[in-house]
Amino acid sequence: MRIHHNRTLIAALLAGTCLASGPVLAQDGPIKIGVLEDQSGDFAAATNVKVNAIRLATQEINDAGGIAGRPIELVIYDTQSDNRRYQEFMRRVLQQDQVDVVFAGFSSASREAYRPIVNQFNGLAFYNNQYEGGVCDANMIVTGAVPEQQFSTLIPWMMETYGPNVYTLAADYNFGQISAEWVRQIVAEQGGTMVGEEFIPLGVSQFSQTIQNIQQSDADFVVTLLVGAAQASYYEQANSASVGLPMASSVNVGQGYEHKRFTPPSLANMYVTTNYIEEIDTPESNDFVERFRAMFPNEPYINQEAANSYIGINLYKQLVERAGSTDHDAIRAVIAEGDVCFDGPSGNVCLDPKSQHMSHTIYLARVESDHSITFPEVWENITPYWLGDAGCDLTQNDPSAQYTPSNPPPAQ
Amino acid sequence: MEFLLAIFSISYQFGDAFAFLVISCAGLAVIFGMMGIINLAHGEFIMCGAYVTAASARAGLPLPMAIACGALAAAIIGMALERTVIRHLYHRPLDSIIATWGISLIATQGVLILLGPTMQGIGTPLGSTLIGDRSYSIYRLVLFATSIGLLLGLYLLFYRTRFGVISRATIQRPDTARALGVDTRRVYALTFGLGAGLAGLAGGLYAPTMTMVPTMGSTFIVESFVTVVVGGADIFLGAAPAAAILAVIKAALTAWYGQLFGQIGLLVAVIIVIRVMPGGLSAFIKRWQK
Amino acid sequence: MNEIRLPDATEAPGRRGPRLWLSRLEGPQTMGRGLGFWIAAALVLLAAILYPAFNNDYTVGNAAYFLVWTFMAMGLGLVWGYCGALSFGQTAFFGLAGYAYGVITINIGSAFGATWLALVLAVALGGAFALLIGYFMFYGRIKGVFIGIVTLSVTLVLETFMAQTAGPQWRIGEARLNGFNGMSGMPPLTVPWFGGEILLYAGTTLYYVLLGMVVLVYLGLRMLLNAPFGNVLVAIRENPERTEMLGYGIRLYQMLAFGLGGALAGLSGVLYTAWGQYITPSSMGLTAAALPIVWVAVGGRRDITATLLGTLIVIAGFQSLTIYGSQYALVVMGALLVFTVLVTPNGLVFTVMSQIGRIFGKGRE
Repeated sequence: MRIHHNRTLIAALLAGTCLASGPVLAQDGPIKIGVLEDQSGDFAAATNVKVNAIRLATQEINDAGGIAGRPIELVIYDTQSDNRRYQEFMRRVLQQDQVDVVFAGFSSASREAYRPIVNQFNGLAFYNNQYEGGVCDANMIVTGAVPEQQFSTLIPWMMETYGPNVYTLAADYNFGQISAEWVRQIVAEQGGTMVGEEFIPLGVSQFSQTIQNIQQSDADFVVTLLVGAAQASYYEQANSASVGLPMASSVNVGQGYEHKRFTPPSLANMYVTTNYIEEIDTPESNDFVERFRAMFPNEPYINQEAANSYIGINLYKQLVERAGSTDHDAIRAVIAEGDVCFDGPSGNVCLDPKSQHMSHTIYLARVESDHSITFPEVWENITPYWLGDAGCDLTQNDPSAQYTPSNPPPAQ
Repeated sequence: MEFLLAIFSISYQFGDAFAFLVISCAGLAVIFGMMGIINLAHGEFIMCGAYVTAASARAGLPLPMAIACGALAAAIIGMALERTVIRHLYHRPLDSIIATWGISLIATQGVLILLGPTMQGIGTPLGSTLIGDRSYSIYRLVLFATSIGLLLGLYLLFYRTRFGVISRATIQRPDTARALGVDTRRVYALTFGLGAGLAGLAGGLYAPTMTMVPTMGSTFIVESFVTVVVGGADIFLGAAPAAAILAVIKAALTAWYGQLFGQIGLLVAVIIVIRVMPGGLSAFIKRWQK
Repeated sequence: MNEIRLPDATEAPGRRGPRLWLSRLEGPQTMGRGLGFWIAAALVLLAAILYPAFNNDYTVGNAAYFLVWTFMAMGLGLVWGYCGALSFGQTAFFGLAGYAYGVITINIGSAFGATWLALVLAVALGGAFALLIGYFMFYGRIKGVFIGIVTLSVTLVLETFMAQTAGPQWRIGEARLNGFNGMSGMPPLTVPWFGGEILLYAGTTLYYVLLGMVVLVYLGLRMLLNAPFGNVLVAIRENPERTEMLGYGIRLYQMLAFGLGGALAGLSGVLYTAWGQYITPSSMGLTAAALPIVWVAVGGRRDITATLLGTLIVIAGFQSLTIYGSQYALVVMGALLVFTVLVTPNGLVFTVMSQIGRIFGKGRE
């Protein structure tokens, strides 16, 4: 055993010296983009379309001559809705495939699983999902909408239209708890009352008790922040018990297209703030849907994450072309200029240099009783203000942490 | 009046939890409780029943017929699997975990590839009724009635029919049964098919109330195992009281402390029951009867 | 309680202390004996040592990641294969120790090799918790498949509980548990070295450290299994009543074996947490809990060597299936599992090893 022990130490000494070097960037040849998305498992319903959106953007860019003359090459892995696969494959794309940028992650848990590895290799990752907000990390660019964008628009509108008494029903994990915190805060600011707040463990599919609690309260509307296929059973069950209250959500319709999957009228009278869904009737959106369906005729639904992924690739193109390289510092210097914007399917969006999150046009989508969609209200250029206001400034320093309203960045 | 309404509301919650536990565990009680096969593909039989039910309901069949189709489809698939895989595992119950887990992987991912990530639901029928100032889903009441009917039907099947006697005999003493001229292979296949069919029935019954995705079966599996284990080997002596007790625990904890404690309470109850009465409720009741 | 000191079949005159234990490297409870086996084993080890010389950083780091899981698998092999108690909840100890490592290192930092202190404490915690559960089960006369159900319930309770600890009130010192999103921010293992610490990120260094640990644990388990302790475990597996009649306190043995298995699962948990600087409640969930059973069953649970090799083969195989098999990966995995159970009931590696043993005439008698 002693001989072996010595060998270990020598090897350790040798190896320790070559750990610090990051990925070496090739300046010509294709630009490699790693794609880690859940093409199977629990989240497949909402994420397959993201991969296709990335394929669409890639083909369009390559047909038009690539990024600064270099074609995009996609390296796609199926992460199977499994956090471990994210850890394995994030190392693989950064170390083995030496990609220039990674588009990765659906659930917040998967993002938190791969983030330490991105930081370790000083990679660059796009997270294209709407989520609970608060990630202040220079290695991350977030194109999805965050609570301040979705709730600061949705809740006041709902309270004005339906009344001040709010009941929140949220998934019992980070996304649900933090979103519920936002709802609570905004309701208080607007002078409303929380008449109930209930958290549901992931995977629960039976809601009789919850439905009764809601009926007992004198809520004017219910904020549903339910996540996952099991919890989505709530709508069917609430409808069959004739709860009949308007619902407000930041997560349904825009992500899992429940209005297409469920039988009308179980989602009737639901209001969702989303930054994109395929029903949006603007020339840009219609054009996007047409091009998407031309390439993927069988796509069930084009959701907000698909649009964000598509925008993400185009933003990256702009960043690399303006920076003149795929080097991360050069790219971040471009972001710091504060004028990285893109006119895409969802309207004009811009990257915020402080938080590296994205501004959005927020659409209020209303599900009618036949599950068609109308848009009673549109808010343009809603910025992801909270992180920057709270003290996250990635142009100054990089804490690589996730903050919440009750756990804000430490004062500078 | 107020008091009666409160009583009704509590019983409704209890009945709802009871129905869910009984219906989802019936198939597992036959396959795991009686045959000793640890069937991790239980959820996928449920998914199969739900999918077939939804497809046939949308093709125009009335819902009860569609549910029967779902149960039948699951039963046929179950018997086919028994023929090819499960048959070889009767003496190795622990290996059945691996095999059925493999089957469950194939089923979920196969359905995802063939039918896509989601399927359109069929909507809950029958609407709701107003009792006092609260409305209740009628279909949930039907589910409760069905769960009672199901227990009764299974009791009659296993204790009052020839098939029931032969199947219990085969599973308890296969050699003796064979010596008496029973085609034990056929009985095993039929019993397994029955268990799979019951799982399919569960899927069919809950299909109108749930999201249809390939992984939908997984929401049933923990509750099913918990009920069967607390019940013990004899499904009638065990499963029914087990479902009743667990339903009380779950409904009460959920009502007072929220869904999280409902969920955790169920699991803790199992640990305690196994510790206090290792053979489950049925062994405990049997001993107490003597 | 009953005395553990027992007459030892392998005890020969003149063999005392270290020599006695060395002689136990081979014996009735482990496959492989004689010069041929040890030469083969040395060659495998040599290949493993030379592996980084012929592979790039990623592949070596990935191999290190595979090694992380082998401890949990060997622990399960001990508990299930040798002791006959199928635990469905090794992930409970895995997760507990992983979180413990996170909490300790976030609070005390990583200076002066403190990460190793955290490792030892966390593994001890995992082992102690396993002893507690083991006491509860074995002294409660729980047996057979019910052990699986109890352990599964334990791990699911932990998962459900941890998943909802997202709020800022769930913190231990500096460490936020952070709910379903998982805890991150803990340092990797560090080795204090001249002029600064070596961070054991996934790479060649970590690979060698883990390889050394695997070799130590593997040889240690071989010695333990061929010692009286292992003989009694196998006797309990084969016939608990008989063993009890012979005067052994079988529950104590089962509990100790279970505790050791839990500590090994905890070791994997700590190493996993340190490797990815991340631990999540879903690593205690149903799917995660089923995986170790699959590894051990496919490899072969009746022999520690088969368990070790089988685990590495299955983990590597599943990963490459996911890389190259696109959406069919899970289908193929499922088919492989069914095939393995039907065709090689004792496990794939176990069957291959016995065949080789038969050819060379040196297999287990």
